[in-house]
Amino acid sequence: MSITEKAIEVGAALHATGSRSQIGLFLSQPISWVFLVVGGIIAFLSLYPTFFLFYGSLTDAPLGVPGHFTLKNYIRAFTDPAAYPLLLNSFIFGLGSSGLSVIFALTLAWITIRTNAPFRRLFELTAIIPNILPPILVSISWVTLLNPSNGLINASLVKIFGLEQGPFNIYSITGLIFVESLILTPLAFLIIAAALKGMDPSLEESAKTLGSNEFSVARRITFPLMRPAILAAATLNFVRAVESFDTPAIIALPARIEVFTTKIWREALGSFPTNHNLAAAYGVGILAIALVFVYLYRRFTSQVESFSTVTGKGFRPHQIDLGPWKYAASAFAFLLLVLLVVLPILVLTLVAILPYYHVPTWQTWHNLTLENFRYVWANARVHRAFANSLFLALGGATVCMLLASFASYITVRTKLAGRGILEGLVFIPWAFPGTALALGLLWAYVDFPIPIYATIWIILIAYVTRFLPYGMRAVSSTIIQIHKELEEASIACGAGFLVTFRRVLIPMMRPGVMAGWIILVTIFMREFSATLFLYSPGAEPLGPLMYFLYLDGMRGRVAAIGLVISLISVILIAFAQRYSRWESK
Amino acid sequence: MLRKAYLFAAFFALALLSAVPANSQSAKMIEAGKKEGKAVVYGSLESDSAETIFNAFKKKTGIEVEYWRASATKVMDRALGEYRAGKPLFDIILTNDNPMQIMFKEGIFAKYDSPTAKDFPKDAIDPNLGPRYRNVIVGVVYNKDIIKPADAPKSLEDLLKPQFRGKIVMPDPTQHTTTTQWVASLWKLMGKEKADKYIRDLAATKPILVESLLPAAERVTTGETPIAITYIKYVYIFGKKGAPLDYVRLGKFMGDGHYLALDNKAPHPNAGKALIDFFLDDESMNMMAKLGEFVNRKGIYPPLPDADKIQFVEMVDLGTKEFKEKKDEYTKIFLK
Repeated sequence: MSITEKAIEVGAALHATGSRSQIGLFLSQPISWVFLVVGGIIAFLSLYPTFFLFYGSLTDAPLGVPGHFTLKNYIRAFTDPAAYPLLLNSFIFGLGSSGLSVIFALTLAWITIRTNAPFRRLFELTAIIPNILPPILVSISWVTLLNPSNGLINASLVKIFGLEQGPFNIYSITGLIFVESLILTPLAFLIIAAALKGMDPSLEESAKTLGSNEFSVARRITFPLMRPAILAAATLNFVRAVESFDTPAIIALPARIEVFTTKIWREALGSFPTNHNLAAAYGVGILAIALVFVYLYRRFTSQVESFSTVTGKGFRPHQIDLGPWKYAASAFAFLLLVLLVVLPILVLTLVAILPYYHVPTWQTWHNLTLENFRYVWANARVHRAFANSLFLALGGATVCMLLASFASYITVRTKLAGRGILEGLVFIPWAFPGTALALGLLWAYVDFPIPIYATIWIILIAYVTRFLPYGMRAVSSTIIQIHKELEEASIACGAGFLVTFRRVLIPMMRPGVMAGWIILVTIFMREFSATLFLYSPGAEPLGPLMYFLYLDGMRGRVAAIGLVISLISVILIAFAQRYSRWESK
Repeated sequence: MLRKAYLFAAFFALALLSAVPANSQSAKMIEAGKKEGKAVVYGSLESDSAETIFNAFKKKTGIEVEYWRASATKVMDRALGEYRAGKPLFDIILTNDNPMQIMFKEGIFAKYDSPTAKDFPKDAIDPNLGPRYRNVIVGVVYNKDIIKPADAPKSLEDLLKPQFRGKIVMPDPTQHTTTTQWVASLWKLMGKEKADKYIRDLAATKPILVESLLPAAERVTTGETPIAITYIKYVYIFGKKGAPLDYVRLGKFMGDGHYLALDNKAPHPNAGKALIDFFLDDESMNMMAKLGEFVNRKGIYPPLPDADKIQFVEMVDLGTKEFKEKKDEYTKIFLK
């Protein structure tokens, strides 16, 4: 009997009656203990800060001050007729940027993982870089390139082709979707690439034997098999786009396009003083939408067996020989990478060596400076921030992925009662806007009996709480693909749950685990919205440091730090990708 | 002659005697502050200015300063959050008028009359918060490479002229708090009736709206938009790096006052007091002025042309309800 079947039996038995013997049977299974421990940790991490936000949404006083029960925050947030057109704008923005990011990611992942296109390893290594850069810098880079007045690309095209005005206008809904999709592509790429790496080629080979060509195999076999990963990436990116404020603030505001987050900012988070109660009510609304998406995602992926593509038979995903088309594939991947990496990094490098932020002229070349890099090199505060962030990134990502692996296994593989709740719990803190959650975390931990507030540990807890869904999505889409026969073989050979998990499942999940780890490391290196309220003033990580340098108009320094972070992250990614390949086993 | 010399000597001795207790009090405070180890400051003062002053303070007293920098609203959120939970980690709050007044009303500040406060003009001393150490001034900044000074606007009214239509960038007054306050205070410069009409006319020119004052200034440095309503200190800050910026000499300029105050549950009260004394003193005010700030100690000006001719008008403080009303009103006017 497999551990999954045992779990079904245990869960069903426990569900049917609550008798002592059945509780004993439940507790006699290692998976039950794992469920209780992991579920307990996740429930605490998720519900404790969320409780304060829910409470805040139902009261009329600021958090920490006794108030009266009220529904007026919800009434104000959701009965304003002006909110609904903005919700529609947000929906179009979320759908467009999430869809485009998945198309970019899928194309890039397919070319780099499954084809023999030249330079594919280089493309794979660099595709994640945009995730390292703070989104606000990516948006600013694109404004520098595509603004209608003097954007570098527009100005060049006007000069070369003698046009009357630049052909592109970043300040439009198309520009907004385009930039946000570029920001979201690395996350989708990592999830989809991990699933592609773990795919059994036998189905594709059967289709080829039956006469399908490579492209029809890709369209009719490969992509349908990728559905869980594609949906996972699309779900994550949709919610991330809908709750994002940075890109709309920089691109939508001058274009006078309003999205829902603009309203949240104006009325709650950016109001003076901050209206925590209204912010919490909006957060609960976004949470409800996010949970609908989680539910839809679970429905799409409920027929787990149909997605099992990694079986016990030895395999290596086969490489598709594109023939002469391989150069076209490389060219296309290169074009995507120019958009994703080369142009933003070029603009950042330019910003880092300019004496002040401006569009370069011939005069500029005489005034270039390395002052910003000298600041990064010589400033003790920057060094401390790098050390803190490296600790948080490596430690936080590892803890998060460990928790995510167990949680994913429980939600995908077992039939334990309450596994759906576990997945819902993971998503709760993620669905709140970053600043709203940060306030919840502040309140949850400022008076916590163990004195961890304003220490580095509280930031670690905040990162795990907020970003666990990223880790879970990355691992879940890989676990779905692993056939149960592998676990069954292990059990048949006498191994227990923990041994099977460690020796069979973890190695099989490795592409997903490493993909999640990379996503988290790159986010944690620069995270600021949750960190800002929690770090101790003497021990700031890089995110807050970059945030206030940006606030103070020192974009050059921010760009220089961003470039150094990119370099460090690329080294970490190269290491992680090497470790995650099936071939290296 | 001799009599004059005696008189001078007597006056000098008196001055010295009166100074001794203050100095010895200050020395005692510094010693006690050293034993406390550090002072913790939450503030919205720009990090370069803060770092310069705090490093000089450390050099002089040996007391370390830990600084948490954020926007004024976030400073208030964190400070009130910690205070209400009974666990304030900060000794000093350093930010602008409106949030300082709210925190004062919440009762989080201790009364501390710094001996160095007496050198500020009387009209720059708030009865609750003490000296308004700097003014952050909003004005009209333009790119000299794109608009020649002779063709530049000369007044706020000039911004309505057809030649500047589409060439002005400003923070969104429906979102950016200081700009909401600035627009709502225009009556102080031009009277209520004229100000109401001016606001509507300005909105009708469809200015480009951005999230805050810095991006507005940056669009002028890049040349993307030639004119901005923003802080005039950026003319000096970006100008010293080569940006071709100048500001319109409006005569009267509106802005916000900034203060610092001691937490009444400060974990390091002596270090905090010693820092306030140093912060308000000539030495640090001079340092700040050299970095482009308009400080309020007599005779100290930033190295910005005609800085001494600027007449400062403090913007009105708005309460929570007034902010909401103004933001709703400006949403109808600016975003229609």
